[in-house]
Amino acid sequence: MASMAVHADAADAGPGFGPSLGPRSGPGSSKLRWLLAAICAILLALVLISGILGMRYLDQMHAREREVTRALMDRTELLSALWVSIQNYNQAVQQYVQQADAERKQLARERIDRLTVEIDTDLRRYPADRDSLEAALFDGIEDVYTQQRRLYLLESEAPKRAREPLAQPVSALEKQGADWSRKFQAWNREKLRQADQAMAAKFTGAQNSLLRVLAIGFGSGLALVLGSMVYIVQLERQTRNRYVQLAQSKDELQRLSSRLVDAQETERRAISRELHDEIGQSLGALLVDIARLANATDRPEARSELERMKSLAERTLSGVRDMALLLRPSMLDDLGLVAALEWQAREVSRRSPMEVAVESEDVPEDLPDEVRVCIYRLVQEALNNAVRHSGARNAQVRVAQSTAAIEVRVADDGGGFDPVRTRGLGILGMEERVKRLGGSFRVESKPGQGTTVRALLPIRRPDPTGGPATLQL
Amino acid sequence: MIRVLLADDHTLIRAGLRMVVAAEPDLTVVGEAGDGREAVALARNLKPDVAVLDIGMPGLNGIEAARQIRAALPETQIVMLSMHSDEGYVLRALKAGAKAYLLKDSAEADLARAIRAAAAGKSFFSPAVGKVLLEDYMRVMQRSGAEDSYEILSAREREILQLVAEGHSSKEIAGMLHLSVYTVETHRARVMQKLNLRGIPELILYAVRKGIVS
Repeated sequence: MASMAVHADAADAGPGFGPSLGPRSGPGSSKLRWLLAAICAILLALVLISGILGMRYLDQMHAREREVTRALMDRTELLSALWVSIQNYNQAVQQYVQQADAERKQLARERIDRLTVEIDTDLRRYPADRDSLEAALFDGIEDVYTQQRRLYLLESEAPKRAREPLAQPVSALEKQGADWSRKFQAWNREKLRQADQAMAAKFTGAQNSLLRVLAIGFGSGLALVLGSMVYIVQLERQTRNRYVQLAQSKDELQRLSSRLVDAQETERRAISRELHDEIGQSLGALLVDIARLANATDRPEARSELERMKSLAERTLSGVRDMALLLRPSMLDDLGLVAALEWQAREVSRRSPMEVAVESEDVPEDLPDEVRVCIYRLVQEALNNAVRHSGARNAQVRVAQSTAAIEVRVADDGGGFDPVRTRGLGILGMEERVKRLGGSFRVESKPGQGTTVRALLPIRRPDPTGGPATLQL
Repeated sequence: MIRVLLADDHTLIRAGLRMVVAAEPDLTVVGEAGDGREAVALARNLKPDVAVLDIGMPGLNGIEAARQIRAALPETQIVMLSMHSDEGYVLRALKAGAKAYLLKDSAEADLARAIRAAAAGKSFFSPAVGKVLLEDYMRVMQRSGAEDSYEILSAREREILQLVAEGHSSKEIAGMLHLSVYTVETHRARVMQKLNLRGIPELILYAVRKGIVS
């Protein structure tokens, strides 16, 4: 019954008719979305940057620390070597002064000369960038050396004369040496402390900048979270509103179509009655009169004229009746539901190549009018569809009563269709009629396997448990 | 003189019918009703020989009215007036106890004959009814591939089928055919069985369809 979708085009347009329900996102929300995305990107960039920065700082600090330590060690080494050399020089000079033996004196002298070269080299090699303490220390050491040197030169020129005043300067020099040694240690400590301080300062700097980056990251993260929350809440509200709107309009639609069905049925009945009572009655009376006239007259030409009038009136009457029947099946009132369905089945069988059988079981005579009309129209529509679209040879209508419901089934052996894909107005109309009465409706069909339309309608009996429950097939 | 009660909700139609009946010397209209309830009430009072009932009347329809009148007054025969020649209507009218079934289209031509037949306890059907019923029957037969069961009836059985359908009682038939009532009953039962019919109304319907009675 693939082509049951005669009306499908119209039906397909169905879901779109709710007022202002289309997918529409306000310009504000779109801006907000972009803003959130930007913040998110910035946040990620910040995390990346802070990570790189932190790594770089750590690297730098590591290198710097090594550099500082090495420089310090170099200087300390140089200075202490210098100091040792000077002390050796000192010793050598003492030896030289106190030695009487010429050969030994010569040895000391050679040593002094060697040391002199060494010290001079070291003094020259010592880096020129010195802080004040370092400079003082250096100068002091150099001073000690200079004094010793002067003593040595004095001694080498006039050995005898030098002996006397020498004792005092030597001890003084020794004292001075010890003093300078202490000073050197102090300087050393001071240097280390300075290096530590510099490192600490560097660390603090790195800490501060990392802290700044972290603070910015945290701040923008917080902003992002807040923004997202606002956005989500907004979306939620929007969704809720739309859902409510949708439910409302669906409800309204349901009511509207229910009222449409009602109105249609009422209107049809009124027109049918009008046709039947007014026009039908007049035509019927006309027919009776014509027959009486025909009986009364003896003139053959008048008789044939009356015969023509009669056949015209009969045709008109039959047309009016057909119309009235289509609008409101009077069998429902005259014969009850089952007989009306049987009548319909015979009508369809008469007019189409499809043979319809009706089967009924315990169908109560006193069904409410709305239920009778619903079942009648449902069967009518299903049979019409089967005749028009399925090419079925046989159809079976079955009406049976169960505990509190009446079940209607119309099955054909036609071409079938896909009920999920194809939903014509006819099917929608059937479903609408059934749902209006609190029943359930189902179409079972597969291409090539016939179609079965099923409906379950509650029968309202005066029972104290309340209204009719919605039934499920 | 056959006393007739007319019931139709359309006054114009009723007036036409009254004129037809009044034109016949052996018929007289004793009462007119506008709906089913009124028809039943009038019938109880007037005890007419024949009640002519429109099938589609408001309140109480013709079929229901016929059932009630037949239950209260077995002597009163029913002529049913209808627009429909459909089997559903005919069968229900017969089941409700109607003797004659007239289509409104041809009511004025056949009404007098139908009233007289009914008054005599005979069946009467508009010719068009038999035609429609036969067409339906033939179509069903053709499509289902079943054979016409009429052929399997014996000559005596056909005779009895016709007499029963015309409205004769078994006793009358026995008298006419010089048979015992018991034999007639047996024949009738066999006819019903062979034709797969349930009850006299279906038998009459079958006979009308086959054109055995009209």
